[in-house]
Amino acid sequence: MHFAMPPRKTSRPPPYAARNSQNSSFVPPVLRNMLRSKPRVIVGAVLGLLTLLWLLGMIGGSSSSVPLTNIPKVAVGSGAPVVIVTVLDPSANPAWVQKIKANREEYAKKHGYLTHFPTPNQYPLNNAPQSWSRVPALRHAMTLYPGSTFFWYLDSSALIMSPNLDLHAHLLSPAVIEKHMITNAPVVPPDSVIKTFSNLKGERIDLVIAQDKEGLAPSSFVVRNGEWAKFFLDAWFDPIYRSYNFQKAESHALEHIVQWHGTILAKLAMVPQSLLNAYVSGPNAQNGQYKEGDLIANFPECDKEGRNCAEEQQPFFEVLERKKQG
Amino acid sequence: MSRSPSPKPGGWSSPGLNTPYDSGGANGSSHNVTWASAQARSAEVKGYPGFTPRNQGFFSKHFRRISTSLPISYGDKEKLGRGRYQGHKFSQMLNRVGWNLWRLRRSLGVVLLIILSIVVFYATPALHRMYRRSALFGGGNKYVIILAANQGGGVMEWKGPREWAIERDSVKNKKKYTKKWGYDLEIVDMSTKKRYAHEWRESWEKVDTIRNAMRKYPQAEWFWWLDTNTFIMEPSYSLQKHIFKNLQDITYRDINVYNPLNISHPLTDEHLDAETRSPVGDGRVESINMLIPQDCGGFNLGSFMLRRSVWTDRLLDIWWDPVGYEQKHMEWEHKEQDAFEYMYQNQPWIRPHVAFLQQRKINSFPPGACGDAGDDVNIHYQEKDRDFLVNMAGCEWGRDCWAEMYNYRQLSNRLNRNPWEKFKDGISDFFKKTAKKEEKKKKKKEEKKN
Repeated sequence: MHFAMPPRKTSRPPPYAARNSQNSSFVPPVLRNMLRSKPRVIVGAVLGLLTLLWLLGMIGGSSSSVPLTNIPKVAVGSGAPVVIVTVLDPSANPAWVQKIKANREEYAKKHGYLTHFPTPNQYPLNNAPQSWSRVPALRHAMTLYPGSTFFWYLDSSALIMSPNLDLHAHLLSPAVIEKHMITNAPVVPPDSVIKTFSNLKGERIDLVIAQDKEGLAPSSFVVRNGEWAKFFLDAWFDPIYRSYNFQKAESHALEHIVQWHGTILAKLAMVPQSLLNAYVSGPNAQNGQYKEGDLIANFPECDKEGRNCAEEQQPFFEVLERKKQG
Repeated sequence: MSRSPSPKPGGWSSPGLNTPYDSGGANGSSHNVTWASAQARSAEVKGYPGFTPRNQGFFSKHFRRISTSLPISYGDKEKLGRGRYQGHKFSQMLNRVGWNLWRLRRSLGVVLLIILSIVVFYATPALHRMYRRSALFGGGNKYVIILAANQGGGVMEWKGPREWAIERDSVKNKKKYTKKWGYDLEIVDMSTKKRYAHEWRESWEKVDTIRNAMRKYPQAEWFWWLDTNTFIMEPSYSLQKHIFKNLQDITYRDINVYNPLNISHPLTDEHLDAETRSPVGDGRVESINMLIPQDCGGFNLGSFMLRRSVWTDRLLDIWWDPVGYEQKHMEWEHKEQDAFEYMYQNQPWIRPHVAFLQQRKINSFPPGACGDAGDDVNIHYQEKDRDFLVNMAGCEWGRDCWAEMYNYRQLSNRLNRNPWEKFKDGISDFFKKTAKKEEKKKKKKEEKKN
């Protein structure tokens, strides 16, 4: 910058030369130059930011890119709270099958639940006993109703005797389940070394099952939908267990995986038999005998040879009929 | 910038007033005469009435002589051309450069400081290891290498000196690598662990050791299992850059891409959900929990990676099962590896979380494994591609582990020479070659003579 005339000097010169910069904080000349105009500031800031990002991401960080496929994810809990699953043998007496179906459907309708009635030959059992079909049936129900939270497997030998009792409120809400679950008890009675955990939280429970006199009774149990359920059902359904000839097929396989694998035991809540699986005739545990007011009346193994479910259950059907009318 | 040379801080120097050797302060303020200093001086005079010679040191005695004999002399400056030294052109230029440097000392200082700090950063190993390790910058503490040592040893086979040497080399190699990138290294002694007293479940211990490592390094995310007979050929590759930053591009979820076991994929059973039936799981990088390479015979667990997740917890839990063991332990020669292959095929929940890596990414084979020729570009180590790791799989069965380890170590050293070493080697190679040629020529001449 040049002026035609030098600027006028003051007539009272200061005794000492003033410092160049009045402000005490020192700004390097490079920075001062940068701050002179707006575009420079912007460019400088952007460059600085880029440098910082580069420093941060030079070797660290992981990639996240577009997924290869787009599978819509349904939030668990957006559908019906409970799905009732019963595997029905196509060779059974159709009238009785109809009654069993109606028993579950009426209950489901009352509480806004859903039902799923597959047949065993829908699933690849590979010559294993048909009772194994309950495992893929549950997995199937989860595929069909991914929004539901709980999946209740109920054997065809069992009847829902208290249609007004809401399973979710009665047993499955975290507070209730914490109250009822039996902790620190042997998984297989009377004296298995493996005991249920004593510090479980109700909201972390993924499998609710009762124990009869002989062990875990997978004729009525509830599984919570989720990744754990897939793991549990697939592990249970492993061909290695199906071909192992466990004496009681899937129920011994279940006891086996529960006792050997901590990630399964940690999700298991054992509840009193009367809440989920009361027996009318069978090896019930203490207080497991069916009495008026229990949710379930089970006739275990009534579909085996020499027994007839329809006949055994007839008086109970009549009771239900009377309840409905009066 | 057009700027006239600015005065030194404090104003122009007036020639003659401040001669260079006595201008201690910038503007002659060293001559501050205070009352106290004057008093002190007079006291000195009073105390020592005798003559106190000044300029007693060598330097102050001979200052003038030295300074006048210097090529650049400030003493002459006043006489010739008004404060401007007009001498040699070269020294004039030097002078100007020096003056400009001094003028720009602040900004130059910043640049110098940056350069210096970069040098210091790379010169001190502790510093850049810390940087590479930190979660914020390098993220090296997210990775753990689990190295199995003492494999196949134990009570039944005592280790000979060669086995010890192999192990030492292998451990050293991984130690160096993990140190460089700030990873953690967990060396596992496979022989001392057993779960059941009546069973020698060696090499089924992979599961237990991985779990222990997960407990030991709670901040880590990825765990890389390595067998003893492996050698990292390119320590300059970081795991982040080599693998984890571009997982989506370098992995394949659909096993049909390369399927030596002929596993039918995807699953089609109607009771399975869409994600399980999809060939690529949900196709997101985040759902990958396990990375395994496949060799010519199927999965290879000599070098594989696991991510900390609930899925992994479940897998490690279900991997060893007494029923499976009882039924299959005669059939499952490779123990976990066969068990995992079995589970992959038969437990659908596993598939959506496993991704496969091209074998040579983390598990190149030497010739002798999967084909003696060593010419399969999908399997065997390729020097020109600078493969990351060599796994001398199966060398303990009829091959010479130590020789292989030694050769690959030498090769790795040669490939990763620094420029100076390359230069030196180049010169010596050149002389060797010329010497050889001369020998050949001599021989030829002799032959001709004969």
